[in-house]
Amino acid sequence: MKLIRRLCFLVAAMSIGAIPMFAADANTGGGGSGDLKLALVVIGMAIASGLCGLGQGKATASAAEGIARNPGAVAAIRGAMLIGLVLIESLALYTLVIAFIAINK
Amino acid sequence: MASEVEFDVWTTTLFNKFLAAPANKVLDWVGVQHDPAHPWSNWMTMEIFVVAVIVVVFAILKGRLSVDRPGKMQHIFELFLGFFREQANDNVGHGSSKYVPFFGTLFLFILFMNLIGLVPGFESPTMNPAVPLGLAVCTFLYYNFQGLREQGVGKYLAHFLGPIWWMAPLMVPIEIISHLARPMSLTIRLYANMYAGEQVTMAFLTLTFLVIPVAFLGLHLFVAFLQAFIFMVLAMVYVGAAVSHEEH
Repeated sequence: MKLIRRLCFLVAAMSIGAIPMFAADANTGGGGSGDLKLALVVIGMAIASGLCGLGQGKATASAAEGIARNPGAVAAIRGAMLIGLVLIESLALYTLVIAFIAINK
Repeated sequence: MASEVEFDVWTTTLFNKFLAAPANKVLDWVGVQHDPAHPWSNWMTMEIFVVAVIVVVFAILKGRLSVDRPGKMQHIFELFLGFFREQANDNVGHGSSKYVPFFGTLFLFILFMNLIGLVPGFESPTMNPAVPLGLAVCTFLYYNFQGLREQGVGKYLAHFLGPIWWMAPLMVPIEIISHLARPMSLTIRLYANMYAGEQVTMAFLTLTFLVIPVAFLGLHLFVAFLQAFIFMVLAMVYVGAAVSHEEH
């Protein structure tokens, strides 16, 4: 198990160390840097959506547990859960808006 | 946000044909660059259309109000009113009935604007960033005005200093930024939800023509209700924070 962890860390470190390679490729003109911008924007959006999914999962799990413990408070818990989900969702949407702005610039 | 081809809704073509001259005058007076043959945009004319429909609905309702024998329409709108009053009481505390008209207007207006995009031939005005921005600025001005009116200018501005007086140089920039972030977040939340919902439905319409986009239309319907509700609840929370008298 320890060996697998070390191997994973090695692969991750090598991948991160390969990033300066992009600096050479990015000077291939409009097409190349446009692709790089698009790729980075998509990766950023993916990270935002993934973390938003984690946050919303945690919120929904707490809401479900609260309902299981106290079925009489379903309305209040549902209200709190919906407000929480929308506020977390809006963080991912900010990233989407920045993605649109970056792509259309 | 840039779109490839601007598609004009039928109201926009009507407005551009008959009312182009006054619109051109207003836009030139304000100083906005625009194409003289096309002063009205989709969102402006659809917003006016939604307002006209809401006014007609409420005019019909007013004719049918009765104390002794309430009809179906009165029951439905009484349900709405009960909902607004209950939510306002939860989020604003006592004294909330003064603000219920504003919250109810917000909810019904935003809900109608969101829902009309689902009808073929119409476009949601909330899909353009200008419309949620206008609503958010109205909400911002409203809660600040209510806070100033309720607590007086000095006491309301003293809120910005925070709970302990010697932390004021740290608290004032934080409070100002958080107050300015409120209309921004209200705008972007409503705009991005509506715009992304339509884009996703469009994308799936071009990918799989038949059954799958219905699921996304259903999701967009749910999101329309939820976003209108959230806008109203957040407006209530901000008004509640502005007018609350802290009992120590």
